[in-house]
Amino acid sequence: MSSNSALERTISKVLSQKETELISQIDSAYQESLKNLEASQGKLEGERTKIVESARKQAENLKRQIVGSSRLAARNQELVIIETAVSNAFEQAKRKLADAGDKESYKSLMAGVIEESVSSIGSGKVTVECNKSDTELVKRIIADLQKKNPKVEASVSNHSIDIIGGIRVKSADGSMTYDNTIDSRIERLKPLIRKNIAQMLRGEE
Amino acid sequence: MPETTAGVEYTKVVEIKGPLIIIDGITKASFDELVEIETVDGERRLGKVLEVGFGKAVVQVFEGTTGLTITGTKAKFIGKTMEMPVSQELLGRVFDGLGRPNDGLPDPIADKFLDVNGEPMNPERREYPTSFIQTGVSVIDGMLTLVRGQKLPIFSGSGMPHNILAAQIARQAAVVGTKEDFAVVFAAIGVQYSDAQYFKRSLEESGALRRSVLFLNLADDPAIERIITPRVALTVAEYLAFDLGMHVLAILTDMTNYAEALREISAAREEVPGRKGYPGYLYTDLANNYERAGRVKGKNGSVTQVPILSMPADDITHPIPDLTGYITEGQIVLGRDLFRKGVYPPVNVLMSLSRLMKDGVGEGKTRSDHMEVGNQLYDAYSRAQEVRALAEIVGRAGLTGVDLKYLDVGDMFEQQFLKQAPDENRSLDETLGRAWDVLSNLPEGELTKIKEKHVKQYYKGK
Amino acid sequence: MVAKGKIVWVSGPAVKADGMSTAKMYETVEVGESKLIGEVIRLTGDIAFIQVYESTSGLRPGEPVVGTGQPLSVLLGPGIIGKIYDGIQRPLDEIASKSGAFIGRGVITTPVDFKKKYKFKPSVKKGDEIGPGSILGTVEETPLLTHSILVPPNHPGATKLTDVASEGDYNIDHIVATAEKSGEKIQLKMYHKWPVRKPRPYGERYDPTVPLVTGQRIIDTYFPIAKGGTGAIPGGFGTGKTVTLHQIAKWADSKVVVYIGCGERGNEMTEVLVEFPHLIDPRSGRPLMERTVLVANTSNMPVAAREASIYTGATLAEYYRDMGFDVVLVADSTSRWAEALREMSGRLEEMPAEEGYPSYLASRLAEFYERAGRVKALGSPNRSGSVTLIGAVSPSGADFTEPVTTHTIRFIKTFWALDTRLAYSRHYPSINWMQSYSGYLEDVSKWWKENVTGEWFDLRQESYQLLQKEDTLKEIVRLLGPEALPDEEKLVLELARMIKIGILQQNSFDKVDTYCSPQKQVKMVKLMLKFYKEAQKALKVGTPLADIRAMPIIPSLLKAKFEIPEEQLGKLDDLDRQIDEQFHKQAEAPPMQRSA
Repeated sequence: MSSNSALERTISKVLSQKETELISQIDSAYQESLKNLEASQGKLEGERTKIVESARKQAENLKRQIVGSSRLAARNQELVIIETAVSNAFEQAKRKLADAGDKESYKSLMAGVIEESVSSIGSGKVTVECNKSDTELVKRIIADLQKKNPKVEASVSNHSIDIIGGIRVKSADGSMTYDNTIDSRIERLKPLIRKNIAQMLRGEE
Repeated sequence: MPETTAGVEYTKVVEIKGPLIIIDGITKASFDELVEIETVDGERRLGKVLEVGFGKAVVQVFEGTTGLTITGTKAKFIGKTMEMPVSQELLGRVFDGLGRPNDGLPDPIADKFLDVNGEPMNPERREYPTSFIQTGVSVIDGMLTLVRGQKLPIFSGSGMPHNILAAQIARQAAVVGTKEDFAVVFAAIGVQYSDAQYFKRSLEESGALRRSVLFLNLADDPAIERIITPRVALTVAEYLAFDLGMHVLAILTDMTNYAEALREISAAREEVPGRKGYPGYLYTDLANNYERAGRVKGKNGSVTQVPILSMPADDITHPIPDLTGYITEGQIVLGRDLFRKGVYPPVNVLMSLSRLMKDGVGEGKTRSDHMEVGNQLYDAYSRAQEVRALAEIVGRAGLTGVDLKYLDVGDMFEQQFLKQAPDENRSLDETLGRAWDVLSNLPEGELTKIKEKHVKQYYKGK
Repeated sequence: MVAKGKIVWVSGPAVKADGMSTAKMYETVEVGESKLIGEVIRLTGDIAFIQVYESTSGLRPGEPVVGTGQPLSVLLGPGIIGKIYDGIQRPLDEIASKSGAFIGRGVITTPVDFKKKYKFKPSVKKGDEIGPGSILGTVEETPLLTHSILVPPNHPGATKLTDVASEGDYNIDHIVATAEKSGEKIQLKMYHKWPVRKPRPYGERYDPTVPLVTGQRIIDTYFPIAKGGTGAIPGGFGTGKTVTLHQIAKWADSKVVVYIGCGERGNEMTEVLVEFPHLIDPRSGRPLMERTVLVANTSNMPVAAREASIYTGATLAEYYRDMGFDVVLVADSTSRWAEALREMSGRLEEMPAEEGYPSYLASRLAEFYERAGRVKALGSPNRSGSVTLIGAVSPSGADFTEPVTTHTIRFIKTFWALDTRLAYSRHYPSINWMQSYSGYLEDVSKWWKENVTGEWFDLRQESYQLLQKEDTLKEIVRLLGPEALPDEEKLVLELARMIKIGILQQNSFDKVDTYCSPQKQVKMVKLMLKFYKEAQKALKVGTPLADIRAMPIIPSLLKAKFEIPEEQLGKLDDLDRQIDEQFHKQAEAPPMQRSA
C-alpha cells in the first residue's frame, strides 16, 4: 500500500495545502470585508456628519436670516414711530410760532431778517413780501432801514403771502428771490432739530 | 448759525447743455456749493457749482437736465456743499444714489452732517494695514491676501461673476482671531436691478443686512447722480469706521459707470480730453474716492474697499482699469478663458496682485510659509501657462519631462486650488494644504522660492 | 506794496482775482477768508491767475486775495531730516496736530522746529572772509548727519565777518554770524529761504564716475547709475516701481535721501514712515530715517501742490548737496506731476500738445532733470556733492510711447524699463534686461576695479551675453520647441534661467535678499559663470545634459541669494568647491551608469 499511502499523503498534502490556502483566503476575505465595513462605516459616518453639518448650516443661516430680518423690522418700526412723533412736535411748534406775532422779540427778529435779506440780494430795487398781519410792521422796519441807509430801495408788495412769519425778498426784475420766511427757516432747521426731539422722545436727554 | 441762512434763488438761466445749466446774474455763490433746482412743473432736483465767476455759475444737475427750461426754472443756492446725514441708524437702510431714503422709511435722524467730498487722510496719521482678512476664497487668501484697510478692486468684464465673488467676500470676510463683524457699505453705481437685488438678498440671507448700508443708483437712474453715489457711500463708511469704530467693507460697483458720468460732464464743459475722451483729471478724481480707505492711528475702525469695474472689451489698458490699478493696492482680475472653462472664481492670478499681502501674512500673522507658497504658486502657474502655449505649437512630444510636470500642475491648480463653490468657505490651513498638494507634484528642486526648512516641513512629493 | 485783490472766478484749483496789478509772477498769495495758499501763474492786466494748493470747496467770488511779495520758497536749515512734508513744505505731523487725521485747510505751520536748540560749532572766526555758499559752522542734525550752516547763495559776494557766535546751543533763529558789506551789516542765521523754482547755484560741474551702490543686483551689476546721474524707471501698474524706488531709498550709499511721493498712494508714504525708523543703514548702523526726508502729495491731496512738490524736493536735495553730501532724490511719480501741469494748463485754456499735455512739458522735464549733477559747491571750504535724480514714470496703459515717457528718455542716462510680462510671472524686480540701459557703465568700472575687483566689467559682460543669446534662442524655441536645440544651446537656456532666478530676481521682502553687497554680487555672478564653463566641459566629454540639470549644486546656487547672508560670504566659496567636486564625481562615474 505504499503507493496508496504515497497517494494519500499527496492527497492529504494537497488537501491541507488547499485548506490553508482556503483558510487564508477566507481570512483575507474576512479581513477585507472587515476593512470595507470599517471604511464604509467611516464613509457613512462622514456622509451622516456631512448631512447633519449642512442641515445645521442651513438652520444656522435661516436663524441668522430670521433673527436679522426681524430685528431690522422692529428697528424700522421704531423709526416710523419716532418720525410721527417728530412731525407732531414740529406742527405744534409752528402753531406756537404763528401766535407769537406781536411779541417784542418777534419784532427785533424781523428787523434782522429784513436787513439780511435786502443785503443778500445786493443793490437795486427789491420787493418785500410778507403775511397780512405783518405788513405794517414790515413797512415800519423798512422806513427805519432807509433812514440808516438811503441807498436801500425797498417796497412792500401789495399781495400778502400765506406764511407763519418772516419775509420773502425779490429783485425788481424777478430774477432773484431770497426766502427768509419762518416757514423756510423751520424747514432748514428741521434736520438739526430732529435729533434733539428724537433724543427727548427716546428719553436720552 | 450759518446753516440756517437762507439761500438766494435765481431764475436767470442762460444756457442748458448736457448735464449743465448756466445761470447769470449771480451775486453770491461759491465753488462746490449745493444747488436746489425747481422745474416749471415744481419738480425738485439737486446740483452743484462747478465754476463760478463774472456773475455766472455753471451748475451740474445730478438728475439730468431733461425737461428743464430757460424760463421758469428756479435755482436756489444753499450756501453749503453737499452733506450726508450720518448716524448709527443708517445701518440696515437703503438709499438712492444721492443718499436719500429709498426704502419707504423717513429721513435718518442725523448725528451729524458730513461733507460728501471728505478730506484727504493725513499719511502721517494713517495706520499701516497689516491685519489679514480671511475671505474663505482660496485664491484670495492664498495668493492675493486682503488686508484690513486695503483697497483691492475686482477688474471684471461683462457677464462675469464679479458680483457673486464680491457677495461671497462680503458674507465670509472675517478677521481671524476676532469676533468683530464687518459692516458692509454697498454702492450700486449704474448697475442693473437684478445685480443690486442679488447683493441685497445675499446680505439678507446671511443676516448681514442689519449691519449694511445700501446706496442704489441703478442703470435707469440718472447718470450724473453717479458722481455722488460713491462719495455718499464712502462718507458713511468713514463715519462708521472712524466715529463708531466699526470695520467696514465698502463695495462699489461698477466704477466704469462712474467714470463715464465724469466723461459726460467733461465733454459738456468742452474740456481738453486726455485718453479716450476721459478728462485729464480722471486719475485725481478716482483717487479722491479710492484713497478713502484705510486705518487711522488711535482709532479702532477701518475702511476696506473693494471697488468693482468692468473693463471695456476686457482691455486692462483702458484708462479706467489702468488708472485704477495705479491707485489701488493691487487688483483681482477675472479672466474670460477661465470663465468659459467653468472655473469659479475665474481669477486670472498672473494679472492679479495684492500689494499689501506681504504685510498681512507670515510668522505670527498667518503661517511662516504663506508668502513663499503664494510666490511659488505664481511661478508654477506662470511656467504652466508658458508650457501650454508651447505645447500648442510643438505638441507634447517637443516638451521635456519637467515641462510635462508643469502642464499637470497647471491643471491641478485650476481644478483643485482655484475652483471652489460660491458658498464654500475654506480655512487658511485648507487653502495652504491644497497649495502644497499642487506644488508637491513638482520635483523638489523646482521649488526655488521656498526656504529649505519649509520644503522639509510641508513638501509631500518624492 | 503787496497786491490786494478780490476773487472774481473759481473753478477747482484755479482762481482768478482782480485788482492784482502789483502782483509778481510766481508770487505766493493768500486766497479767500480762510487764507488758502496759492501761487500766481499768469498775469493779464490786473487779473491774476492763481493755482491754489488747498481745496477750494466753498470759495466764492468777492473774497479777498492778498499777496505776500515772496515767491514760493522753502526754509533751509537744521530740522528738515526725518520730516514728512506736504508739497509746500508744511510738516504733516504739525498739520495733524492741528486738524486731526484728515487734512484741513488754511493750517499755518512752520517747516522746522524754531524752539529746538542745536549745538553750533563755528568753523570761521571774526575777520574771516566768506562768500555765497560758505560754511559758517556745523550742528548735529541727526546722529547720522552733521549739518553745515551755509551762507545763502544770494549773499552779496565776498564779505568779512564782523562777528561770529561762540560754540554753544542756539535755536535756528539765532544770529550766528554777522558780515559787513560797504558799511551795511548782514545778519546770518542758521537757516535761509530759497525759491523752489530756482535751481541753487554751484561752482562747477564734474563728471559722475562713482556708482550709487543700491544693493540691487540688476541695478548695480547690470544697469548702474552714477552719483550725480539721472535715471528713469517707467512701468505699468503692478510692475513694482514703488517697491524698487523704496529699495533704492533704503539701501543706496548716499548721505541723504529725499523721497517725493507725488500723486501716489497714501499708504505708501505711511509704509516709509513706519518702516524707515526701524531699518538700519548697513554702513552706519543707524536708523534710515535719520538720513531721509519725505515730501508727500498723495493722489487725493490738492493737485496744484503736486506740481510744487517736485520743486520743493529738488531744492531740499540741492541744499544738502551744497554741504558736500551725496543726495539721492527719488520722485514717484513724475507722470502725476505732468498730469498736474496738464490740469492747470487746461484751466488756463492753453493750446494743448499730445494727449492734452502742454507744449512746455518737455522743457519742464529737462529743467527738472538738469537739477541732478555732481558739483563743486560754492564758497569755502572746497567740497563737492551730488544730487542723483531718479524719476518714476507711470505710462498710461504701460505704453512707453506716451508723451511723458518719450520726453523723459531724452533727458536721462539710465533707463530701467519695467516689464508687465515679467511682473505677471512674478519676476521681481521686473526690470527688463533687454530694454534697459545704463550710460554710466564705463564711467563706474574704474570704481569697481579700485574698490571691489577688476573682474567686474568682464563678469558683467559675459553673463549679460548669455542673457542676450537666450533672447535669440527663445525665438527658435517658440517655433520648434526646446528639444529642437543642440545640447550646448540648451545649456545656454539653462544658464539664463539660473541667472534670472539666482541673480536678476531679488526679493525685497526677504531679510537677507533685500540688500546684496557689491562683493556678494560679484561672487554670485562668478559662481554662475564657473558652473557654465564646467558644464560646457562636461558636455564635451559626453555627460548628458539631463545629468547636469539634475546636479544638486543648482538649487544651492539659486537659493544662495537668500540662504547665505552677508556676514557668511565664505559659504559662497564652499559652493565654488562643491561645483568642482560635483563635476569631478560626474566625470568619474563610468559611462554606463549614466542615465540618458
